[in-house]
Amino acid sequence: MTPTPSPTIAAIIPAAGASRRMGRSKPLLEFEGRPLIARVVSAFIEGGTRPVIVVEPPSDSPEGPAIAQAAAEAGGFGITPGTRPAEMRDSVELAIKELKRRGSPPAAVALAPADAPGIDGALVARLLGAWRENPDRIVIPTAGGRRGHPVVIPWRFVNQIPDLPAGVGINALIAERAGDVLEVDVADEARIADLDTPEDLQRLREAEGRQVRTVRLFAVARERVGRGEITVELPNGGTVADLRSALAEQFPPLAPIAARVMIAVDSEYADDAAVVPPGATLAVIPPVSGG
Amino acid sequence: MVEITEKPLDYAALVERARHNNAGAVCAFLGTVREITGDRRTTALDYEAYPEMALKKMADLEALARERWPIIEAVIAHRVGRLDLGEISVVVVVSCPHRKEAFEACRWLMDTFKEVVPIWKRENWADGREEWVHPGLST
Repeated sequence: MTPTPSPTIAAIIPAAGASRRMGRSKPLLEFEGRPLIARVVSAFIEGGTRPVIVVEPPSDSPEGPAIAQAAAEAGGFGITPGTRPAEMRDSVELAIKELKRRGSPPAAVALAPADAPGIDGALVARLLGAWRENPDRIVIPTAGGRRGHPVVIPWRFVNQIPDLPAGVGINALIAERAGDVLEVDVADEARIADLDTPEDLQRLREAEGRQVRTVRLFAVARERVGRGEITVELPNGGTVADLRSALAEQFPPLAPIAARVMIAVDSEYADDAAVVPPGATLAVIPPVSGG
Repeated sequence: MVEITEKPLDYAALVERARHNNAGAVCAFLGTVREITGDRRTTALDYEAYPEMALKKMADLEALARERWPIIEAVIAHRVGRLDLGEISVVVVVSCPHRKEAFEACRWLMDTFKEVVPIWKRENWADGREEWVHPGLST
């Protein structure tokens, strides 16, 4: 007797949002050498979902081409709308249209945001396995009492998304279907979280041996960057000289002046050789002109 | 005593704070907004401070000056925000037993203030341009 083929499960990654962290598009933030969007696509492919659809920002957006390239190189199928979808739900609906266009729809859809740093193939495979044993359920990973991503949604619920009333998102659909949810405890919060807060990004970088530091800007430095406070990534144990390089590299408008400003650590001028202490207040001090 | 304020500086009140029976000399310096610099005309100045560090540095300067000269009272006050022509940006007042020390301490405080205190001025030129003043930095 020929074995029944496994039901196909597709993946949808909305990556069209305009949110930025530290001045950069979240899907393009790098972790362990790869942009987050590439890691998420790879995780879905390794975990066994097909196709992996990435809904991208428009090609004339600043981050659009880079996201499209990273997604394609990782094996994702990109949808590039002409205008940026207003809500994540709108992105998901574009992907649902594509899945319908292809003929027989998948049995379920796995959904994750483009900036989830902890998702790997093993996590995806485990959640798909849980769904296959419980194909009527919406599978949601949990850790530390919090729900995360990816979520696996049976097709018959996914098909209801386009009919949701205006202003209602996918979370509302899941809330309505609370009785159909199957939570899977994966124990490690970092694996299922996405980058919502500066603290999330900090934890991500700490995992890489890097730190995220806040730096105050004044006068021409503030004028060039457009705000009075920025966050900068540094290696752990980085020096003031490393901070200078990081400022120039991560904030190109500061590059022309980075060598000619002082750096203040806890309200004292610091030498380039000094290690930046944890928790210290940092500031860029252009040549002063008071008095 | 050190102070950063957005309010206009009442130099008379600040001088009064430095006057003391133990002092034979009170030396006061006022920095004011000048209209002409070279061939350019200023319409206003904007001063900005990094307040926590500026106050710390001003207090450090007072402490250093007190080590070097027999200062009875010292007052260092800087104003921030928008200043029009002729307005007072900074007041330094020192009182000492004798005038030699009072002149020297006052001058040293003002000269050193301009080198180390994290306060910056932005020129508003008559031709409409605005420009941060950063000695030695060509941007």
